[in-house]
Amino acid sequence: MKVERLAPKALATPSELQTEGRTGGSPPHLLFAVLQVENFALHALIRSDPALAARPVAVIAGEGRKAEVTEVSPEAAGVMPGLAVTLAMARCPGIILRTRDPAAEVEAHRLLLAAAFTLSPRVEFTGVGCCTVDLQGVDPVRTEAQMRRSLAELARAGLAARIGAGETPLLAAYAARKAEPVLIVTDAREFLRPLPLAFAAPLPGHADILRNWGLKTLGDLTALSKAEVGLRLGAEGVSLWERAAGESARVLRLVEPVKTFVAEWIYEPPVESIEPLFFRLRRFAERLALELRGAGFAAEKLGLTLRLEDETDYRREFCLPEPGVDVDLWLRVLHAHLETVRTAARVAGVRLGATPTRPAQKQDGLFDTGLRDPAAFWENLARLAALVGDDRVGTPLPADTHEPDAFTLERPPETVPAPASQPVHPPRGHALRRFRPPWPARVLCVDERPVGLESESAGGTVRTARGPWRGCGNWWKPGGWAVEIWQVELAEGGIYQLARTAEGWRVEGMLD
Amino acid sequence: MNYVELHARSAFSFLRGASLPESLAAEAARRQLPALALCDRDGVYGAVRLYMAAREAGFRPLVGCEVTMEDASVVPILVASREGYRRLCALLTTAHLRAPKGEGRVSWRELGEDNAGLIALTGDEEGPVRQRWRARGAAAAAEAGDRLADIFGRDRLFVEVQRHLLPEEDAENEFLVDWARASRLPLLATNGVLQATPDAGGVLDVFTCLRSHVTLDAAGRRLAPNRERHLKDARTMAALFADLPEAVRNTERLAERLQFTLADFGYRFPDYHGVPAGETQESYLRQMTYLGARGRYGALTDPVRRQLERELDLIGRLGFSGYFLIVWDLCEFARQRKILVQGRGSAANSAVCYSLGITAVDPIKSQLLFERFLSEGRADWPDIDLDLPSAERREEVIQEVYRRYGRQGAAMTANVITFRGRSAMREVGKVFGLPDDVIDRFSRLFHHGDFPSTLDFREQLKMAGIADGHPRLPALLETCCQVRGLPRHLGQHSGGMVLSAGNLSQFVPLENARMPERSVLQWDKTDCEDMRMVKIDLLGLGMMAVLQDALEICAQRGRPVDLAQLPQDDPATFKMIQEADTIGMFQIESRAQIATLPRMKPVTFYDLAVEVAIIRPGPIHGNAVNPYLARRAGREPVTYPDERAKPILERTLGVILFQEQILRLAMEVGGFTAAEADEFRRAIGFTRSQERLDKMKVKFAAAMKRNGVRDEAADFIIKSIASFALYGFPESHAISFALIAYASAWLKTHRPAEFYAALLNCQPMGFYSPATLVQDARRHGIKTLPACVQFSDAACRVDSDDVIRLGIASVHGLRAGAVTGMLAARQGRPFASLADFLQRTDFNPAERRALAGSGALNALAGHRRAALWNVEAVPGGDDLFRCAVAESAPEASPLQKMSHLERLQADYIHMSLTTGAHPMKLLRSKLPELRPAAELKDGRTGERVKIGGAVITRQRPGTAKGVCFITLEDETGFANAIVWPKLFEKARLVITLEPALIITGRLQNEEGVIHVIAEKITGLPNVGMPEQTSHDFR
Repeated sequence: MKVERLAPKALATPSELQTEGRTGGSPPHLLFAVLQVENFALHALIRSDPALAARPVAVIAGEGRKAEVTEVSPEAAGVMPGLAVTLAMARCPGIILRTRDPAAEVEAHRLLLAAAFTLSPRVEFTGVGCCTVDLQGVDPVRTEAQMRRSLAELARAGLAARIGAGETPLLAAYAARKAEPVLIVTDAREFLRPLPLAFAAPLPGHADILRNWGLKTLGDLTALSKAEVGLRLGAEGVSLWERAAGESARVLRLVEPVKTFVAEWIYEPPVESIEPLFFRLRRFAERLALELRGAGFAAEKLGLTLRLEDETDYRREFCLPEPGVDVDLWLRVLHAHLETVRTAARVAGVRLGATPTRPAQKQDGLFDTGLRDPAAFWENLARLAALVGDDRVGTPLPADTHEPDAFTLERPPETVPAPASQPVHPPRGHALRRFRPPWPARVLCVDERPVGLESESAGGTVRTARGPWRGCGNWWKPGGWAVEIWQVELAEGGIYQLARTAEGWRVEGMLD
Repeated sequence: MNYVELHARSAFSFLRGASLPESLAAEAARRQLPALALCDRDGVYGAVRLYMAAREAGFRPLVGCEVTMEDASVVPILVASREGYRRLCALLTTAHLRAPKGEGRVSWRELGEDNAGLIALTGDEEGPVRQRWRARGAAAAAEAGDRLADIFGRDRLFVEVQRHLLPEEDAENEFLVDWARASRLPLLATNGVLQATPDAGGVLDVFTCLRSHVTLDAAGRRLAPNRERHLKDARTMAALFADLPEAVRNTERLAERLQFTLADFGYRFPDYHGVPAGETQESYLRQMTYLGARGRYGALTDPVRRQLERELDLIGRLGFSGYFLIVWDLCEFARQRKILVQGRGSAANSAVCYSLGITAVDPIKSQLLFERFLSEGRADWPDIDLDLPSAERREEVIQEVYRRYGRQGAAMTANVITFRGRSAMREVGKVFGLPDDVIDRFSRLFHHGDFPSTLDFREQLKMAGIADGHPRLPALLETCCQVRGLPRHLGQHSGGMVLSAGNLSQFVPLENARMPERSVLQWDKTDCEDMRMVKIDLLGLGMMAVLQDALEICAQRGRPVDLAQLPQDDPATFKMIQEADTIGMFQIESRAQIATLPRMKPVTFYDLAVEVAIIRPGPIHGNAVNPYLARRAGREPVTYPDERAKPILERTLGVILFQEQILRLAMEVGGFTAAEADEFRRAIGFTRSQERLDKMKVKFAAAMKRNGVRDEAADFIIKSIASFALYGFPESHAISFALIAYASAWLKTHRPAEFYAALLNCQPMGFYSPATLVQDARRHGIKTLPACVQFSDAACRVDSDDVIRLGIASVHGLRAGAVTGMLAARQGRPFASLADFLQRTDFNPAERRALAGSGALNALAGHRRAALWNVEAVPGGDDLFRCAVAESAPEASPLQKMSHLERLQADYIHMSLTTGAHPMKLLRSKLPELRPAAELKDGRTGERVKIGGAVITRQRPGTAKGVCFITLEDETGFANAIVWPKLFEKARLVITLEPALIITGRLQNEEGVIHVIAEKITGLPNVGMPEQTSHDFR
């Protein structure tokens, strides 16, 4: 993979830089930048669901009584993080409450990382909604302009991010939290003094103590003697003081640039129209384009897969007229095609892949198994599943219910387990050969006991009848069942098992 | 062929049965069963209820029990004789008392040692025989059966066969029949009943899930396979066992052998053992009564002597002398320990109780009816309720009872905790697999389970997020309704103790209570009353603790107060009451009382008794309040339904306010005897049987007709009585409470500092939070000084007539031991400095922070922040350097002093109150549109006003048809708002969750009673103000 590195260059002089969004007047030291999305979980949700845009939305966490708001959109007046969910409902009656959406966050993180890689190939995934970029050696003027371009691209892709830059990752992180949308710290001391104490992330116990001390800003803390703070709050207190003074330096844990350019989404519930599909494809395209560009690639082909509700896939590959990362062009190609597509079932998932101009590397997976030829085994299973349906392949097991003949299918294990020990009292009586499906029947009763049977394949006078046995279940939901079972011996011979349900009589099988 | 069901479990098997004993009784009667044996799991919890219901329904209620054995198998045991019952109770008591609650198991050895009078069945699928057959086969099952046969003998063991229409049971029954025949044991058909009727099957499944902590979807084969385990009649059982007719016949034969019912369970109240030689209980009671009477009355007048003789004669004839002596002795014990004690309830109708010092009301002077307490031929026995100071003082008396009668000779009565609206929905919802957030939303929306809802259940669920079309809604609705009222588990009654001659555990099984050193019996208060077991209620009353504390402070300050000598007509006290300045007073401090006092304007002690009694659900239900107030104010003439009712109702201006009036109406207008009248009163107050009430109403109506009472007068009397009596007070009880109310009012008027200090020391109690009490004290000119390690005691103290000092214990989170240690250290030598304090006390870091944050260290540190800075410099625990650091002079703090708002917040964090200004005072300038509470009295009715403040009470009483009452507190006092149901439902969450509110509405200012009729309610903007706690109830 070819990675285009920014050429090392001397730091720019103040006159070369725009002064907007910059603290102090001294020359900038663009050593690190941090891209940050405030309220990341909320932004990821809104980015993923257009229906949430411009509406009062809160992300909640915790269960039961402990559930509280963690992030909230500006439209939810009177609601703030930390508020109990019920109180949030009281204060903002129309509020939409959502828990975090991991899939949406993964997608947003990949977008953020892609934007970070457009600044430098040395990128750290620092935490939720936050990436740190090592800018050492890059051209500060070009980089600042690139920062603004990347932020604009992110904003177009539905992610409002900020960038802060400074001498240390910590300063850059602080700056990112204050940036509107870009802030370059030149005078660390002045910059740090008014920042809220929470920026230095004190431990919860220490936060209480500091609050009781009346300290509100990083400057308030650093105004105290470091030794006295250490005496009271221990080593963590010293570390906190240093963080408040911006003294903390660290080595970045860099992430690898992406090597495959694929985006995937599962719809719950499946979708029927083109709008939600196209909305998702736009989001994918925006991210893939950024990823490709960050890695110095262009797409030569796009691969579209629609996963249908009936477990089938619709696949199509599009050769682009020329390699590139033009999102609008991609979308036009996709849209033109999708308008003509008619699928047999609703779309349950979508996948978009871009083939870069250089081949992606593939690492083989490792697996072991007790089967002699697992590939053949699973291939055969897959064929079977294709023939009869995926939910009809496996080992039938009795279901944990009193419902007669209820069973579940267990997928075949990779090794065959040892047989279970026999129960002390295995079910006694004759074996029942079940008719599948059971035969509808008419049964003549006297004193509520069957005396005659009429069905498509068996019938006649009942000589003896055993029963009834009664069962019922699932009364708490639709699909509740109740059944009365009889075993009858016909005068003409044959012992049959009959069942009476709300739908009427049926012959369930024949006893040996 | 007859059939008797001899193996039935009720819902008193706690999640193992689905129907109340009353439902089983009704179904047994409908199916014409001649007898029914209730075998609840590990107890006789439902036996009394079945017994009472069976008496009405006319079948024989047999006693049994499913006993859980040490190997977890379950043996059903039936009681044949009183001796057997005694042994069963003892067996269960032994098992329960040696194990944690709910885990009692009987050993096979114990079952073998003591089983005369008991008959065993082999049991159902949980029985030892069938359990073994399923797990280990026929030989093991036969072995288990043989062991039972060895224990009970072949004449007292029956092989139980059940047919629930399941295919797998045939093989099992085949084995049981073969084994029974081979062992020459009799077969017995039972249906192993778990529910009265098939439709309770869903409840049983839900209970199974609750027991197993699974949802219905995950329960699988734990659920019942069908709904056949309900009561069946003889014909059905005979058909089921057509091939085993002897199994059905044997049920009737065995039932004949079960001679025991609870009618003769043999309970007797204990004798008093302190009778001097040569005296009997009767003579000694007489002696003590007259001795006490001379102290109470001085010279005994003829009426007093006549009344005492009448009462002593009756007490002696009914055999209650020992009971009175035991209670008297307990009161003496309390007095010796300087524990305030006062009898309440109907005991205050007795001159003997008054003479013995058990009660404080002179029934002769107050013209109280003795028959309300005791009369010949009465169905129930009297009980004496004693009010004691709550907490440790009461526990001292309870433990003295255990000391005297032993853990098996005395026990607290049980309190059956039942599924109620919110708990039913929460538990059933969980089992139905509803998401936690839905259940939680329901609980939040309808929290304060005590807020009855104006919405029906379906609407409530809809608000919680379960739409009308939810597939599980119909089953959920039905199950919740079925579950409501069924027992969930057994708790203990707040103070009811039962004693007996000999071991109580031979009359009813005892168990460990959750509280250590307490045992509880398996029956509740009503069951004990039904079984004529005499109980003593040792009730903890917060106000008794306040009075005790206040009197002690008064005595310490050299201004002792004798409650018995308080002037009963003190004008200053009544002025305060009339002005509804009653925060902190007993019984008359609630919003409803405060709204009534200015209209009632009590001027005598008896008026106060009426005031205590009138704001009760009874008179409110009976529409007695407004007529009484109108008649009192002269706006309405005083009338009587019948001339004969005039002497009875004269004191209450023609309205029925007291239970005694019901009795006297029954006797004098209806011609009932005292016993009949009391039965009538009990029938009205008995919630379990509408039939019983209807019968008594018919009887009373007929009696009045015979006595020439006009039909409409009779109708009026019956209607008034019926709507009132369920919640009514006895007059004697009202007077007893009025005594305490008056004492609290007198203290607030004349010893306010002592009264507020005591109130603060006894929290939590009453309607108002400590924060409100401190603000009320301030409005009464009492200054409250903050807690201080140099000057405070552990509890609040009175420094002068208008200054109280908060106790160190007011600071949250301090261990009592650390506070005591600090006080001891200070007593030895005052703390010279903060370093000295830190060195000589044993507070942990969190406690030191709390002390510093609350300002309790200001005397040593200068200000709170300086203290907070310096306490952090001390290493925690046993750090070797702790002393060295503490010895060095504390560094001057570099921190700024707290602002006013910060101090206020710290006060609420560490003490939930402030001794400074009310938080609303700080907000006032930011909310100029809000009318201060104290200015509402100057407003006109109909004027639109906006009020705001901390919510201190939310009340939605059942009698108010969905109306909610809210009290807001600001720096000037209280403002009351009325919220109509429609607005309440609209703003439910805001009302129930916001700690402070702004309410806009129309003012209502009539007769000194001020309300705002709410039109709009919003939360008070959050500007960093501390949250106050509120008292929410119905």
